[in-house]
Amino acid sequence: MKYLFILLLVLTSISVNAQNNAFSSGEKLTYVASYNMSSILTDIAQVTMETSDAKTSKATLMRLKCTATTYSKWDTFFKIVDLYESYVNPKNLTPYLYKRDIKEGNYSKFMKYTFDQKTNTIKSIQRKGLKAEENKTFSIKSGTKDIVSSLYNIRLFDYKSMSIGSIKSFIIVFDREEIKGQITYLGKETISTNIGKKECYKLAISSSEKVLQGKNNNLLWLTADENKIIVYGKFKIPVGNGELKIKSAEGLKN
Amino acid sequence: MKRLFTILAMITAVFSVIISVLPISNLAILPAIVALIFTALAFYISKKTGEVKKIIQFIFLLTILALSLSAYKAIFTSTEVTNTNELKNKEKESKEKAIEELEELELDDINLE
Repeated sequence: MKYLFILLLVLTSISVNAQNNAFSSGEKLTYVASYNMSSILTDIAQVTMETSDAKTSKATLMRLKCTATTYSKWDTFFKIVDLYESYVNPKNLTPYLYKRDIKEGNYSKFMKYTFDQKTNTIKSIQRKGLKAEENKTFSIKSGTKDIVSSLYNIRLFDYKSMSIGSIKSFIIVFDREEIKGQITYLGKETISTNIGKKECYKLAISSSEKVLQGKNNNLLWLTADENKIIVYGKFKIPVGNGELKIKSAEGLKN
Repeated sequence: MKRLFTILAMITAVFSVIISVLPISNLAILPAIVALIFTALAFYISKKTGEVKKIIQFIFLLTILALSLSAYKAIFTSTEVTNTNELKNKEKESKEKAIEELEELELDDINLE
């Protein structure tokens, strides 16, 4: 029993601190985000996910950047310029700094988390529109990640060894609240994408919050190779259905 | 009945024209199809009872106009992000600030190898 417990502990620590063999600095993935209305898709925004080096005098971290910008035709009606960044340990994606700077129509918000991984606390700064800055320090559970590093962390799981129906759980900190996320492996599927026909790992994502609705309504397809890039996503959100389709992929590691 | 179908056809045709000039122009196909159905019904009943009014032909033209406009936009308008300067400046500023902030953190004991 003792050995079984130790084995479980080792396996758990391996899965928590999964090594990054899927991507390196210089990767750029571009997506088209569409909104589905009565089965007619309307392209709304371009989403990019990019990795680069962030060199300081003490260490070289990895900068994970996600941006969302509306297509020009929407700009006069509802312009979105969103920037999400996470500065992480390139080896295991432990976050040290997270920034969210969004501008959606007349709404703007800035959020910054400075992670203290030793004490499991976050120093946060929030700015909403023209309101005064709001500082708050709060504690988090060990292994909690921001939304950007969590998204990249999905690519580190070893799906080869997972059986259909296997579940991986993780904790995301968003808007200064911890949200429990869960990924269910649904098996392999071959789909046609803009970067060719790809064999993919099909995953279902669910969360403890109502942002993502339903159990198998939010799906992700990751290429079933070493890169494990997200090529397609289907989401059910409170205001309808959305899709995320890959447009181009550059600088892949494998 | 003829009047009801004509009114419904007119409303849906106007809707399809409005939608076709908006960025969601490909959605104009839905009210346009409904408008065509109502126009056909109004036309059929009118023909049965006698004279076909000019308004029915006008609604038909309006619907065709909406469909043509949305088809033109779907084929010839490219979806692209043109104004990227705002985002590029935001990204550059943010990275510079982030490096300054990371310098203040204790990163010595991070195992990066």
